[in-house]
Amino acid sequence: MDIVNVFLNTPVGTDNLYVIDVIYFVIIIIATFILAAFISKKIKKGLSGWMPVNDREMTSKIVYFSIVAIGILVALPHLHVELSGLLIAGGFLSIIIGLAGQTVIANFFSGLILFFEQPIKIGDNIGVGDTLGTVEDIRILSTIIKTYDGIYTRIPNQTLFTSNITNYVAHVARRFEYSVGIRYSDDADRAIEVIWEVINKHPFALKNPSPSIYVDELGDNAVVLIVRIWAPSSEWWDVRTELLWKIKIALEENGIQIPFPQRTLWFPEGTGHEESADSIN
Amino acid sequence: MYGTYRYPCAIEEESVSVEVTEENGLFIYRRICGDDTRELVISPRDGELIINPVEPVNLPKNITRFLEIEFDKIVMSPESEDTYYLTFPVEIGVFLKSGKSVSLLDVFSQAASKYSLYGSPKEGVVVRWHKSVVHRKMPEIDNLREGVMSLKIVNPEKEIVELSIGIFDSYGMKIFYNDWYVTMSAEIKVLPKDEAETKFFNAPIVAGTDKTIELYYGREIPVVGKFYKMNWGYQ
Repeated sequence: MDIVNVFLNTPVGTDNLYVIDVIYFVIIIIATFILAAFISKKIKKGLSGWMPVNDREMTSKIVYFSIVAIGILVALPHLHVELSGLLIAGGFLSIIIGLAGQTVIANFFSGLILFFEQPIKIGDNIGVGDTLGTVEDIRILSTIIKTYDGIYTRIPNQTLFTSNITNYVAHVARRFEYSVGIRYSDDADRAIEVIWEVINKHPFALKNPSPSIYVDELGDNAVVLIVRIWAPSSEWWDVRTELLWKIKIALEENGIQIPFPQRTLWFPEGTGHEESADSIN
Repeated sequence: MYGTYRYPCAIEEESVSVEVTEENGLFIYRRICGDDTRELVISPRDGELIINPVEPVNLPKNITRFLEIEFDKIVMSPESEDTYYLTFPVEIGVFLKSGKSVSLLDVFSQAASKYSLYGSPKEGVVVRWHKSVVHRKMPEIDNLREGVMSLKIVNPEKEIVELSIGIFDSYGMKIFYNDWYVTMSAEIKVLPKDEAETKFFNAPIVAGTDKTIELYYGREIPVVGKFYKMNWGYQ
């Protein structure tokens, strides 16, 4: 017992710091991390189904880091660190850290701004520069994106913050369009009617805002119809890929054809070119 | 079709058939609804199938909790209330009951699904859309395709209002059914600034109907009740 007491009261360094103080510090820090992990996990689980994934993740992270910060503040006095002194030291430290880790700090604050501004959420389909994919995680310093071909991409928050972000699902509905060319000999009104029927049968081609179909251009090779459809953002890609082929099939079933580019050559009679044209055929 | 069945069993009505057969020691669940089919192996030997209507926001897949019923325009006089009957699409849920546990096995429907946007693309909501004729009395319906909603419209304002849509939150829908009817009872209360509130009543409109198993439980505050506020207007 005496040996234990002697060990625990062995001075460490200076300023009346003993082994027992270091042990207290370590125990509090370890307990803090365990408690923070436990509580944040419970919060994440408890909020499941009540809150969107993104908000849930962020709430649990905030709780986690808050508990860790409190734990550190509680533990530090055991190392005889004066918290009031920390404020002064913090000033100097921040200058040093600021100089040494500008990028880290920039990423951190960019992350904070992104958190409050919320241009993206976990699960959103976004585009940042050349990177297109789904947001997997938003971390303190970086954001993880899984590209559509399954590649893990880490984008520093500072890059994200200063880039143009395109969020394809920020709005609940989005519009897409097709250009459909039909022959000059086809009835455009009938074609519009047929396309309308196809769109109306698709559950996720929204009733409102209403689709719009109109003759947009009298092109070189076809009468060009524009078809504009609104779909729920979560479903738009499936709707877009499904409908185009269905429209093509429906038009053909109604005798309306999508023409290939073609050119008709006319030769004036008596120039001798008729023969050469015949010989080509 | 609606009810509780011990399996093996076979239920057939119109173009819908549901059966559970025992094949090589396995219980096979098969459902055919038009061109849509589903087949599953189910494990419990002493289970039961419960077939009843469910909230109509599940097909082809669940992307919203809101049902929009568009109806012929109703003009309400100031400080008045009236009750009309509308129809709503029916989706049929098949539940597997084993002991005290009940789990959703399948959802199908003969009603065509169509979705719409209520409000703006930025802040609105995607809704399951249904068009209904307005009836003064309860209409005859095919209870495998459509249900009847008793809709009480309350206009406490001092102005004439015109209503043509109602948005209903599936968290709070109370559906009742028997062999002839699938019903719900709801209310639209007009608010100032072209807004309205909708809510459901937990009471059957036809005697002798059973309450369905709810897929979406409303987090109802007993005193206040569960409302959906139609911020984007009612026409």
